[in-house]
Amino acid sequence: METVAQTAPAAGRPRPVLDPAAAARRRWARAALIYVLLLAFSLLFVGPFLFAILSSLKDNPAEWPPRLDPPQLNPANWRAAWRLGKAGGGSGLFGQFAPGAVVNFDVTYFVPEGRTPHPPEVTISRRVPGAGIGAVVPDAFAADYAIVSEVVETARKPAEGGVLVTYSFTIRHDGQGPAVDRLPLDLLVPIGQTFHSATLAPNRIERLGRVQSWNNITPGLVPYVFHNYNRVFNENYSRTTGKNLFLAWIRNSLFIAGVKVLTTVIIASMSGYALARLRFPGRNALFIFILFSMMIPGQVTFISNYLVLRDGVFGISRLFGVDTLLNTFTGLIVSGLCGGSAVFIMKQFFETLPRELEESARIDGAGPLMTYSRIVLPLARPALGAVAILTFQGAWNEFFWPLVALTAPQDKLLLTVGLLNLRRAYGAVALDWGPLLAAAIISALPIIIIFLIFQRYFVEGISFSGIKG
Amino acid sequence: MRSARGWRLAGIRSALAAIVIACLATGPALAQTTVRVSGWGGTDVAIVEELLARFVRPVVEPQGIEVVYEPIADDFPTYLFNALSAGTAPDLFYVDIFWAESLMRAGQLEPLNDYLADSSVLSADDIIPELLDAFSLDGKIYGIPKDFNTLALFFNKDLFDLAGVPYPDENDDWNTLADKLRRVSALGPDIYGLALQPEFARMGALAFATGWEPFDEQGHTNLLDPRFVEAFSWYTGLAADGTGVHPEDVGQGWGGGALVTEQVAAAIEGAWLLGFLRDAAPNLPYGAVPLPRHPGTGQRGNLIFTVAWSMNSASQVKDEAFQVLEALTSPEAQQWVLERGLALPSRAELADNPYFQQPTPEAQANRIVFLGASDGFVRPFKFLDYGGSWLDPINAAINSVILGEQDAETALAAAQEQLDLLTGR
Repeated sequence: METVAQTAPAAGRPRPVLDPAAAARRRWARAALIYVLLLAFSLLFVGPFLFAILSSLKDNPAEWPPRLDPPQLNPANWRAAWRLGKAGGGSGLFGQFAPGAVVNFDVTYFVPEGRTPHPPEVTISRRVPGAGIGAVVPDAFAADYAIVSEVVETARKPAEGGVLVTYSFTIRHDGQGPAVDRLPLDLLVPIGQTFHSATLAPNRIERLGRVQSWNNITPGLVPYVFHNYNRVFNENYSRTTGKNLFLAWIRNSLFIAGVKVLTTVIIASMSGYALARLRFPGRNALFIFILFSMMIPGQVTFISNYLVLRDGVFGISRLFGVDTLLNTFTGLIVSGLCGGSAVFIMKQFFETLPRELEESARIDGAGPLMTYSRIVLPLARPALGAVAILTFQGAWNEFFWPLVALTAPQDKLLLTVGLLNLRRAYGAVALDWGPLLAAAIISALPIIIIFLIFQRYFVEGISFSGIKG
Repeated sequence: MRSARGWRLAGIRSALAAIVIACLATGPALAQTTVRVSGWGGTDVAIVEELLARFVRPVVEPQGIEVVYEPIADDFPTYLFNALSAGTAPDLFYVDIFWAESLMRAGQLEPLNDYLADSSVLSADDIIPELLDAFSLDGKIYGIPKDFNTLALFFNKDLFDLAGVPYPDENDDWNTLADKLRRVSALGPDIYGLALQPEFARMGALAFATGWEPFDEQGHTNLLDPRFVEAFSWYTGLAADGTGVHPEDVGQGWGGGALVTEQVAAAIEGAWLLGFLRDAAPNLPYGAVPLPRHPGTGQRGNLIFTVAWSMNSASQVKDEAFQVLEALTSPEAQQWVLERGLALPSRAELADNPYFQQPTPEAQANRIVFLGASDGFVRPFKFLDYGGSWLDPINAAINSVILGEQDAETALAAAQEQLDLLTGR
């Protein structure tokens, strides 16, 4: 209460002089409060995204309780993945199990006092994936070409309450078969003998501690750390065309978003200029009509839009020999050439330009088209940037309409709808959320990059229109 | 200045060019009869693509039939219902038993009896009768089941070994099974006998074992029937004494997830569990046995989850579509699906397939699930055309009793009240 009285002096009274130390304290306290609040808010907003990135690296993103230090983030495992990838005959970045591979592997167990240490039973298992295309068309199995050496004890170290025993073995490729992507490994020990450490951290411990299981002991760095990302790219290809689906979806989304940005920038700037500067009958009615179109949710008009596309925009597409615009990029582009909000932003911007510029152009003999293209457009770069970025963001993230208008074939889907496909492929069948999460992170990247580079335009876009998107 | 204008013009030109190209990049013109086939996405896409390439196209292409496959990413029923109303639906498509009845009643599906009578490849007798019945209404067959699932008891052998309890077997009834599970759960405070997924999709199989029917002749549902109450009490009673556990109490969303934690000895699931186990717990020593018999009736109950290929009644190419359907469900195609462990196909003769004789746990579990369709009181997972609104009150009741929020009597009375509103008193 007192502070309020001090900072807001009553009229007529002399402003009380503050002790400089107290003023500095208060300034610092205020700054600290602002920083704490900002940090708290940014954590609140960025935290879930960071957590999603962290989870996308894990074998089981839905693990509970969640670990903040998955083995994928441990540099010791990075080195091991690199080394093992090379030992398997691949590169350090992308490993494989190829002819000539000699993979040395160590594993250490804790054996309580009074128990005899047992060497682990080594199995290279034939694992068929539970979901995705690998379940239908399995790759070659490393088990068919791997030769496992004898397991020998190489070290014994006393530890509290028992000993730590290290065993070593070597897995070779028999040289006959093909190079295989993965070398899975299972080790079985008697109950009571517990796993301590290994050349590479296991993916899971099973059977109450008896089995240590690896998905791939020759991963190479990238497939180890970015396991789920690697799967998204490798496991999604079309059986009929052989195309990589995930790349195709990214390309489609970029294409559609790019074309929409172009059409929107052209149409919105021209119509925005016309509405701002040209005098013609019905101008206000037209502007109100455009505003009105922004207020109707897409869900209201999507059925009629769908029917319009189905019939090829009142049969116009038949002139080009196409019966329907459903499931075509054309349909998607035609139905989203330009949004009302983009026109609105451009109109608002053009109205802030000083009229004198255009008047002097007219005195020099320029017509409206010349004025528009030579004078106004170069000045409108900030607004054009804002419109372009907002349009790109909107088109890239658009989900509902592509889901309705473009359902097949698979390699024509947009990325947002493709993600839904991944949900079905991995999540719904095997509750394997890793690839979906990885794909979602990838799909968020372009927007984040664009935001970081063009932050200014985002903010301007909001200040022009008072609205987003 | 000039270069800036040039750039601008180039930009405009390339934009126009892009639009023109986009306009031209459209579907190919029709050359022959095209049959459009659709289903949901995911692993099914790879399966259907393989089936089409291996078994369908070689048969139908010489006859001038081109097959176009249009998988839908997700939420297939919504897509299908929209497409049927808009007249853009494919000629052949998946129909899940759960929402089949509303399509059958609306006349959107073509009755297949005449086609089957004329066919030399596919006859109604080839298909497991319980499955075909599920897609029949008033004597008309509206879909050829492509595959199915039933429920079985999956258990973790390690926990039974550790407790020194014999594994569940096919002779168990409710009492002997509950006894075994109770003894396993005595291993420790964090060890449980059975994962109790709070859903009719699990507990319903037990209710059917008592001889209870979901609807009487007038189409009413009676949850207060002593038979239903008995099954309900047995299932939820396992939670009360700590033998069973809600999957969420071990941090999982369903029974299969609970089984993988190795804290829960058994779960009631279908063959969909197998794909999950391959990835999540490749070394889990599991077994599968049929669901326990009801001590009174001596019968088992089970639920059938199945998906059929159905034909659009508005299709312009029905005869060709049926040829594609024949090839999709041919013995060779179904055998291929079975032998890869992808699904349990619907032809009855496959019960003798050598695949089921393999000693692997996966083949054995598949055999149990396959046989489940014809053992005891088996009902399809379909509730007239009520769908989820019929299930929700029952699921809510099961959930609240397992969580200890309500006693069985109160919960059932509340659920019955809601079902009375739905199905009539």
